[in-house]
Amino acid sequence: MSEPVPEPSGEWQRLHPLSPLLRGGVVLLAILGYAASQLFDTFLNSLGFGDLFVGTDGSPIDEPDGGGDPFTTAVHHPFLALAGLVVFLGLIALVNWVSWRFSRFRVGGGQVELRQGALFRQHRQVRLERVQAVELSRPLLARALGLARVVVQSAGGSDSTLTLSFLGLDRAESLREHLLELAGRTDEVATHPAEGNAVGPDDVAPPHPWAASQPVLEVPNGRLFVATILHGSTIALGALVVFGLLGAGVRSVGPLALAGIPALLPVAIGIAFNRVKELLTHGNFHLADAGSGVRVQEGLTDLRATTIPLHRIQALELVQPLWWRPVGWYRIRVNVAGSGGMGEGEGQRETTLLPVGTLADARTVLALVAPGVPAAAWDTAVLGGGGDPTWRGQTTAARWLDPLSWRRNGWTDVASAVLLRHGRLTRRAIAVPHARIQSLTVRQGWLETRLGLATVHVVPAPGPVSPVLAHLDVAHAEGFLAEVSERARTARRRSEPPRAPLAPDPPGLVDWSRHPQGTPDAERP
Amino acid sequence: MADPLPATPLRPAEVTLRGGDLPWRPVSPALTRVRLISLGVVLAPLLVATVVVGLLVTRWVLIGTLVLLLVGAWLAWLIGRQVSAISWVELDEEIVIRKGRLFRSLVSVPYGRLQYVDIQSGPLARAHGIASCEIHTASPESGGSLPGLPVAEAEALRSRLAARGEAQRAGL
Repeated sequence: MSEPVPEPSGEWQRLHPLSPLLRGGVVLLAILGYAASQLFDTFLNSLGFGDLFVGTDGSPIDEPDGGGDPFTTAVHHPFLALAGLVVFLGLIALVNWVSWRFSRFRVGGGQVELRQGALFRQHRQVRLERVQAVELSRPLLARALGLARVVVQSAGGSDSTLTLSFLGLDRAESLREHLLELAGRTDEVATHPAEGNAVGPDDVAPPHPWAASQPVLEVPNGRLFVATILHGSTIALGALVVFGLLGAGVRSVGPLALAGIPALLPVAIGIAFNRVKELLTHGNFHLADAGSGVRVQEGLTDLRATTIPLHRIQALELVQPLWWRPVGWYRIRVNVAGSGGMGEGEGQRETTLLPVGTLADARTVLALVAPGVPAAAWDTAVLGGGGDPTWRGQTTAARWLDPLSWRRNGWTDVASAVLLRHGRLTRRAIAVPHARIQSLTVRQGWLETRLGLATVHVVPAPGPVSPVLAHLDVAHAEGFLAEVSERARTARRRSEPPRAPLAPDPPGLVDWSRHPQGTPDAERP
Repeated sequence: MADPLPATPLRPAEVTLRGGDLPWRPVSPALTRVRLISLGVVLAPLLVATVVVGLLVTRWVLIGTLVLLLVGAWLAWLIGRQVSAISWVELDEEIVIRKGRLFRSLVSVPYGRLQYVDIQSGPLARAHGIASCEIHTASPESGGSLPGLPVAEAEALRSRLAARGEAQRAGL
């Protein structure tokens, strides 16, 4: 199903005819699964109590339209059930067709547009120079049918994505490339990558930024599996179960302890669900160097590929959870402008650059995505225990609030970024490029006032990384503000984009009026 | 790239959590009145209700009245303190807003990061000639709001911010 590559001239085009069906795929599967289970039930019942069904049909298995099945009615009136099924399928087909007829998209005039809906019309548009990333996503069903979904992400939070689901794989890939090419080109006009790019490479300006990518590393699924299990929640649960079993041995509390174990079941299911989701999201993880960006491919069932342009990276976090310390593993996450990241689910997957890796892996990734921060600085940031000459940190006044980590918590400046570190058990190092700081905040709670401390927030664009430096001496916090503000000023001046003719920006990147929830306006009281 | 810079002394802090030499500007005292009126609108019906019930049914309810009065007085005092704690200053490249006494906060937003600026003013605030100026950046956490500016000043501030934002605009 290789349809013609979309032309930049901008003809309205349709999605793949099967797409509405596929979008409702989960529901359909659920209905089919339910029907099948009912059929199975009836079958089992008829084996057990065969005489109940003798009157209807003779053979209990002979119920081809088991889809109806609530339940004896359908058994007694097979034709009615069949008719119901036909009408049901017909309705699905009709809705499918209408939905397909009314879904159209086009690329042209400097933007991507998508129109959807027969009754409730929706028109969403994303300007090409605002495109942050274009990714392909392939859920299991779509993969089986050779289809893919194209997700166009733009600046402006989780709701500003434009999703084209579904297109044939070839068409989707060529569209993605086409969009990236257009976006990349306009982007170069707009931001001047060599300058706007404080963390990124200084002198990389390949002729075609989205050229073929070079594999950098992959995460073995076995390691990911172990790492997924090594999580606070699973360990706490395991400890509880062990205590429960031990307690069962003690006569006095035995019954109580045993009764407690089933009570943990909902919690256990929740944890298992969460862990499995993590595994599904980050399975088959591959990272590749795409010149001016990194290409992430991941997903155990729903395989997704995203390219994150380096200059869209707003903050980086290298973290080693306590449970990973014995095995020496690390995780790297980033804030990317426009990849949402407010919600856990969707944002998380596009912002993890290393779900789990050794220190060497982490260094490789960091060298790739943040060449502005020297490797030695990262090492001190994540491993240093305090007393490092270039780091400034908390004083003994913070000892009561951070008894374990007060020697370690602190910050330093590298050439192009501010580097924070905190946590003694779970060790965290965060880098925010000076040119990406949105604002700076100093807060002081009541207890901090008493102790003469204050907390500093370096605010980048939203994402999973939130750089906070807690409990500094007040004068130190104010000094931090002055120092980092000055560096941010210099960096902004350097990165000021030569304003392309697109100024001034129109109010919306996306047609917000159609999407009242999640718009910037939702912030207002 | 170079090694981390040595920990040289920090540059002197101009922007401070308390006091300071900068020309910090207070907000309009009308904000206190507006907030007190809002408080009154919430509390008054409750007070009346407790008094009526107290006189008609049981005197014990009057204890509630007393508690309400005390809470009201405390909140009124708090409102005065809070409003007098709000101050702001426009620097060369940032606008800085300070708020709060018990829980202090200071937000420094570079003009170049402004996405848009809103002026908001409800009927009550309008009647008292004040408006609030809401500053939005690309990060929902990092905006600041500056309540209680005289309407003309809020408008002027908005156009100044917009002009500087355009002049100093930095890419995302």
